[in-house]
Parts: sequence; C-alpha cells; structure tokens
Amino acid sequence: MQDRRTEIIRIIKDTRSLPTLPGIITKLSSLAEDGKVSVDEMARVVTSDQVLSAKVLKLVNSPFYGFSGRISTVSKALILLGVNVVKSLAISSSIFEIMEKNTVGLWEHSLGAAVAANIIARKLNLPEREEISTAALLHDIGKVIFKIKLEQDYDHLLNVIKEKELPMIDCERELFNVDHAEIGEWLVKSWLLPEKLIEPIAYHHNVEKSNNQRAKTAVVHVADVLVKASGFGFSGDDFVSRIQPAAWEKLGLNELILKDIVSELENNLVEAKNFSMDIQSKSGQQA
Amino acid sequence: MGSRLRIALVSKNHELNTQMELRLRSKGYQVIVFSKISSILGFIYSDPPDVMIVDLTASDPEIQKLVKELKKDNYFSVIPVLGLLSDNMDELFDWQNYPLDDFIVCPVQYSELFSRISLSMQRIQRIFDNNPLTKLPGNTSIQHAIERALGKQMAVCYIDINNFKPYNDSYGFSRGDEVLRMVARIMSNAVKESGGGFVGHIGGDDFVFIVMFDRAEAVCKTILANFNIIISDLFGDEDKARGHYIAKDRKGHEQEFPLLGVAIAVVPTDSPKIQHYGKITEVAAELKKLAKKSQESCYVIDRRKI
Repeated sequence: MQDRRTEIIRIIKDTRSLPTLPGIITKLSSLAEDGKVSVDEMARVVTSDQVLSAKVLKLVNSPFYGFSGRISTVSKALILLGVNVVKSLAISSSIFEIMEKNTVGLWEHSLGAAVAANIIARKLNLPEREEISTAALLHDIGKVIFKIKLEQDYDHLLNVIKEKELPMIDCERELFNVDHAEIGEWLVKSWLLPEKLIEPIAYHHNVEKSNNQRAKTAVVHVADVLVKASGFGFSGDDFVSRIQPAAWEKLGLNELILKDIVSELENNLVEAKNFSMDIQSKSGQQA
Repeated sequence: MGSRLRIALVSKNHELNTQMELRLRSKGYQVIVFSKISSILGFIYSDPPDVMIVDLTASDPEIQKLVKELKKDNYFSVIPVLGLLSDNMDELFDWQNYPLDDFIVCPVQYSELFSRISLSMQRIQRIFDNNPLTKLPGNTSIQHAIERALGKQMAVCYIDINNFKPYNDSYGFSRGDEVLRMVARIMSNAVKESGGGFVGHIGGDDFVFIVMFDRAEAVCKTILANFNIIISDLFGDEDKARGHYIAKDRKGHEQEFPLLGVAIAVVPTDSPKIQHYGKITEVAAELKKLAKKSQESCYVIDRRKI
C-alpha cells in the first residue's frame, strides 16, 4: 500500500507537460492571429481552462522571473509575462488527442466551480475575487494529472466508484492511499504558486484544516458542492456532499444567501454550457 | 560605428602579425600590434582597445598571464578577448584558467574572425551593460538609445517609484527587488505590446523607455493601470485594507505612506530646445517634480513648444 503511494508520488512528480483541450488552443491561436490581442481577451480564454491557467501561473512563479510564490491570478501573470510569452506557451502546449467524455466532464466541472466561486465571493463581498475563482478553477488539478499520468488506474477508480457508490475521495484513499487534493497540493507547491492557491486546493474536502486561507478554501469547497448539485460537468462521481460546518461558519452563510447564489449560478451555467459546446465543436474540427 | 573598432593584436609571431594587421585594416579596423608583452597592460589601462586578439599558439606563459590579469579586473574584463589557438589545441585547452571570450583556430579563416569580432562586441554589450536584477539594458545603452531618438518624433519617458525607499526599509530589500523586477516587466511588456521601442534600467527605482511620441501616452496609461493591478500583491493584507503603510521617513520618524505608485515624465525628442542628451535629463527632472506633487501614480508630458 505504502509502495503504491510512493510510486504515484514519483510518477506525478515527473510531470513535464499537461495536455489542454484542442478547442482552447484553436480559440487562442485565432486570437493570436488577430495581431493586437489585449490582456483582457487573452485572460478570458486562458481562465476558462484549468491546465492552461496552471501553466501560466507556474511559469510566472518560476525562479527565473524572480517573484516566486507571489502571483495568484492569470491576469496578473499576463501583465508580467506579456501576451507574447503566454501566446507561445499556449500554442506550444500539447493537446488531448482524444476528446473523451471524462476529460470534458472534468474540464466543465472546474469551469463551473470557478463560475460558482466568483458568484459566492461577490455575494459575500469577499476580497480577492479573482484569486478565489482561480483557486476554484484549479481545485481538481490533482485529478487532471492523475488521469493523464495513470490513465488505467483512473479508469479503474471510476469503475470502483460506480460499483461501490462511494465518494471519489474515499475510493482514492482506499485504492491508492493518496487522494487528488494531496496530489494537487504537491503539484502547486512544486510550482511555487502562492499559498492563496495552495490551501484551497489542498483542503477543499477538509476546510477545517485550512489555517491561513480558510475563507478562500471555504468558498472553493462550497463552489465544488454547488456545481456538483447543479449537474453541470462530471468530476468523477455523482455524490453531492454536505457543505462542511467549518465552511458554513467561516462564510457566515444562511439559507437565503445560498438560495440567491444557487439561482444566479443556474443562469451563469447556461452560458458556461454554451461555451463548452463551442469549445467541443472546435475540438471536433481539429481532431 | 562598428567599422572603426580598435583592435589590439598580441603575438610574438611577426609573420602572423603582418598578415593579420593587413586583413584587419582592410576591413576598416584600427589595429595596434604588440609583440613586446611587457608594455601591454600599461597601454590597455590608459587607452583600452575595443577588442583584443591574443596569440596562444605558442603556449607562452607571459601571454597567458596577461589574459588572466585583464580578466581579473572588473573594469577591463569588459574588453572581449579572442584567443588564437592552433589546430586540436581547443580540446585540451584550460578554459577554466584562461577566461577567453571566444577563440579562433589557425590557420585563420578571416571571414570567421570578422564575424567573431562582431559577435563578441555584441555579446559583451549585452552582458555587461544589462542590469543584473532586471536584465534590462543599462546606462551606456540608454545614452545611445536617447541619442538615436533625438530630433525624431519620439518620447523619452522616465519612470520612478514613489516612496520606494520607505517601502524597501519596511518590507525588506528582497521585496523591494521584486517590485523593481515587476516594474521592469510591466514596462517592457507595455512597450512591446504597443508596437515596440527601447526600455532600460538606469539603476535603483529609475527606469526609462523610448517610444514613438504618438504612442507615449497610451503606454503610460497601460503601465499605470497594470502597476495598480500588480501592487495589491506587494503589501500585507492589513496594509492593503488600510490603503497605506507605516514606515520611517528620511529623518527617521514614523509616517504613513500611501501604497506604491509610479511617476512618469515624458520628454518629446523633436523639440528644437532639446539638442543633446543632457537637456533631456534636465527637462525630465523638471517634469518629475510636477509628477511628484501628487502622491498617486501619474504621468506628465512636456508639451511646451519652446
């Protein structure tokens, strides 16, 4: 058991490149051809994709630029790296060769969580909204990498989840002695991303453990739960957990606010769905 | 400019000296030949050449010592030194102890030698003038860039950070360095994305960029806007919420300082009153005073016609 964990750590630490959805790359390339593309336009496309956002944040926090652990949003990264650097980073990304249902499901889930986190942060008037939605976008990056690096294990995992009707995180621990939150935490730590992003990724299933960034972690947790409840995307299981008391308390939630959030989320997810269809059709053309 | 380079040729081989001097002169270079090693250092220190070609084929300890001496000295190590090596010698050569900038193998291919001379000049300029912190070109390059801009419809824009010293004192040097690197990136990207221009780092919190005059204002606006987005990550949560931070002023008294901002002085280069480099810095200093009156980020453009 311990061996399996060690092996997974080794395999994941060895990650060099993460593939992105082909539709995202097509969209960015067409933006790039425009010649004069603005930081805002570019940021909008990049922030719709967890992998590309992770790459951009990894690069801007790398020691070469000299502000490791400081930059936590894509638009700030774009200002510091420059549109050209991000453009070439995106275009040189590897892409998923097969557009498979689970890949799209996970991508939609992350996008939906970012949308939800943004709404929650706005309704509750929290500072650093962009940081919060970035953390939500990246919260399941551990799953993405697990799926890419250990594809057979991931398929097996999904089957076991279906059979036993258990939450994904419990199955992960049972099968591999490690879960996606922990994997995500290793990754973003090794990429020298700021704590603002690390804690919500590490503790979105265990809000109590978050010390310095509990509000952000709580929002990401709630966003994760709400998106799953909405049925948008597929994160690996259909299990909707309860909102943890620590999150409820930290954010000072009540039924009324939550209702308000949910109704706005439903409207916004319609847009996200349209965007997703657009990306999928572009991906189809390229494949 | 490059064709009048002064090249010092150091070799005890008269045949080689004569031939190489001829070829270099025919290329338009000035050549000073040294066959007596003892006199070289003194000459170099008083009247440094642009490039040195040093004959190492004879493995002469005197010449080797000369190279070492020269490279030890911070100031003169800027001069590129090309070593002449004999065939096969490069494989065994002690690169560690004889810090050459480049080499060429005998028999000399002159077209290659000329390329290597140009290349080493470019490289040395790139390496030595650039600010080690921000990797932006330093004062030599800045002065050249300003001289090239004079009389054209361009603008020389000086940036500095308001109240940078108290920030440095309060948050520490490494945080201050981060701020400088960020300003450098923000400025470089804003200039590049506006269509290009020159950017340089004068030193400390002083930067300069040069763009076409009609684009200067837009670039200033971009820099100010982007700096304001980025600074939120440079302060602690409490300071950010308060909108100011406490640090010591020049006299050592604790004082409130607003969050960091930048001031930009924009000097058009086509005005008849600006004939030379010195005048630009003079006008910039006047504008800076104006820009500094407000504690917030701002830019001031000199639109006076006379």
